[in-house]
Amino acid sequence: MKKGTIIKVSGPLVMAKGMEHANIQDLCYVGDMRLVGEIIEMRHDVASIQVYEETSGVGPGEPVETTGEALSVELGPGIVSQMFDGIQRPLDTFKAKTNSNFLVRGVNIEALDREAKWAFKATKNVGDIVEPGDIVGTVQETKVIEHRVMVPHGVKGKLTAIESGDYSLEDVVYKIETDNGEKELTMLQRWPVRRGRPFKKKLNPDKPMLTGQRVIDTFFPITKGGAAAVPGPFGAGKTVVQHQIAKFSDVDLVVYVGCGERGNEMTDVLNEFPELVDPNTGESLMERTILIANTSNMPVAAREASIYTGITIAEYFRDMGYSVAIMADSTSRWAEALREMSGRLEEMPGDEGYPAYLGSRIAEYYERAGRILTVGSEEREGSITAIGAVSPPGGDTSEPVTQNTLRVVKIFWALDSSLAQKRHFPSVNWLTSYSLYLNDVGKFMDQDLEVNWAEMVQHSMNILQEESELQEIVRLVGIESLSEKDRLTMVIAQQLREDYLQQNAFDEVDTFTSRKKQLYMLDLILSFEHEAREAMRLGAYYKEIVDGTVALRDKIARAKFISEDNVEQIRALKDETKETIYNIVAEGGMTQNA
Amino acid sequence: MAHKIAVVGDKDSVLPFKILGFDVFASSTPRIARETIDRLAEENYGVIYLTEAMAKEIPDTIKRYDAEVQPAIILIPNHKGSLNIGKSRIQKNMEKAVGQNIL
Repeated sequence: MKKGTIIKVSGPLVMAKGMEHANIQDLCYVGDMRLVGEIIEMRHDVASIQVYEETSGVGPGEPVETTGEALSVELGPGIVSQMFDGIQRPLDTFKAKTNSNFLVRGVNIEALDREAKWAFKATKNVGDIVEPGDIVGTVQETKVIEHRVMVPHGVKGKLTAIESGDYSLEDVVYKIETDNGEKELTMLQRWPVRRGRPFKKKLNPDKPMLTGQRVIDTFFPITKGGAAAVPGPFGAGKTVVQHQIAKFSDVDLVVYVGCGERGNEMTDVLNEFPELVDPNTGESLMERTILIANTSNMPVAAREASIYTGITIAEYFRDMGYSVAIMADSTSRWAEALREMSGRLEEMPGDEGYPAYLGSRIAEYYERAGRILTVGSEEREGSITAIGAVSPPGGDTSEPVTQNTLRVVKIFWALDSSLAQKRHFPSVNWLTSYSLYLNDVGKFMDQDLEVNWAEMVQHSMNILQEESELQEIVRLVGIESLSEKDRLTMVIAQQLREDYLQQNAFDEVDTFTSRKKQLYMLDLILSFEHEAREAMRLGAYYKEIVDGTVALRDKIARAKFISEDNVEQIRALKDETKETIYNIVAEGGMTQNA
Repeated sequence: MAHKIAVVGDKDSVLPFKILGFDVFASSTPRIARETIDRLAEENYGVIYLTEAMAKEIPDTIKRYDAEVQPAIILIPNHKGSLNIGKSRIQKNMEKAVGQNIL
């Protein structure tokens, strides 16, 4: 193929002339070192190429060769439990091959292991008519993920050969008689990362995704197929929230994209996940996790690619009929990578120097989330839930990345540094956060738990809101100026905050709360409120109720540490609440005088 | 909206108020006084005069209605003389309202 010549190098941006035969988004090999790059702009015969590797030592005059293919990922067995870099190079193989802890340039590694043999079990027979997206066989990839081998897009016809057995990724596994002759197919497919994989129909995401985090599941629930943003300043716990969701959400597969954040955070994942047991399957979490790492010291251009690599892999598993969650930590670093490239391209900057197309890029990414019916003759339902962390500088959510994200996501978990300073974790601010799926989830939970869940949640939310109004009065004139009713509201709100919303991610029991336990805990606090208000109506004083329930309230506060196996103990506490408060009313509070 | 006025305290002190047309509730023990006041509050009394001697026994009740708009509980001396609780309460409330004691 004809080669171009480099005329300018500016950081990760390389310009080359003589590229008239190339197309935009083509993958190129740049320079004598054959660094991987992608064409992002074409002017006459001059191509601007963003290079996914470090460019020092590359100079004008060196050759550029285009492959004529778009940046693609390899999809096939062997992808789960792996850790890839931004352009899908497996990092452990990379390390073994280069013998270095850091990325070495110009190394070409296959994304998936070509040698490993996989036990393929055919589910279709010779003579069956198949279309794109149909499952022809399965491979038990890990203990929990069954890899479903699908007919690639654009191939349609009659199966002429298929047999179960052990195959590597390069072996021909099945043959299809198409209109243009017989096609030999392997378990491996490729897909360009910047194009969403097709689906038949988008469905309304109305089934909640359980995360085990009380503040999220109860007040700001996310659905399978929904999209959420987690903005928060440094130290507010974005990463912990993302990790918690990656650990405990009831999805089949998690893709975790570490995008421009500290390497230690990926190390945490690598250290913790293999040891943690997935509460839904009982197996190690790593069995259902795929990691994409582009840490802060890795090349900036690959940061942009890492997000697309992640979502394309997620789409592939969605097409198999799985529910997939993709976490991106953090999309701000991705936007900054876009800004850097845009600056070097000398494009007209938009808000805060971000490119004018920032909004459309962010929307493009989040729109690839959703609950869908897959293509193929047997319709499967799959979903991608996208959760993106945003790191607004200074915690100011009015900056462009947060704002553009909020335009497309329906859930906003605002992490608050002042809550984090008070050691209230997860520091999701209940006043500013929102979830537009609350109604859908409420309906689902009403049916699932057979209680009036939506109403309980609304009532608790009202108490918390009322508390914040009362708090202002208290700050001005002191707690004495509140009526007894309002002071009781403050006590209940405090219970909700400290005993329900606060959750310790590092406590063995408290780190995950099932739906049933959440219901029991919330019900316990609300029944305490109900009884206390009733007692007050019957003549008991605020002080008597508060003094008389010290031990009881302590027990309520400890309810979160009751393990999932003993949730009935929480139910028993409810009866105790009734009894304790009944006794207070019976005494009439006059113990000291009567 | 019209409100009623009640007087609560020991019998000797409160009886004269009957002449003025106030509702008079004699209470011999603090418990009776507390229950009376709670009941009156619910019955929409606007002002309740309470003897200082009785008020001393039921501080929680007084505190409870401090934060309510009504009833206003006003402390009065009984027939044995003043304990100065009522007056100091007025001074305290004034301090809270304007920031310093202007009397």
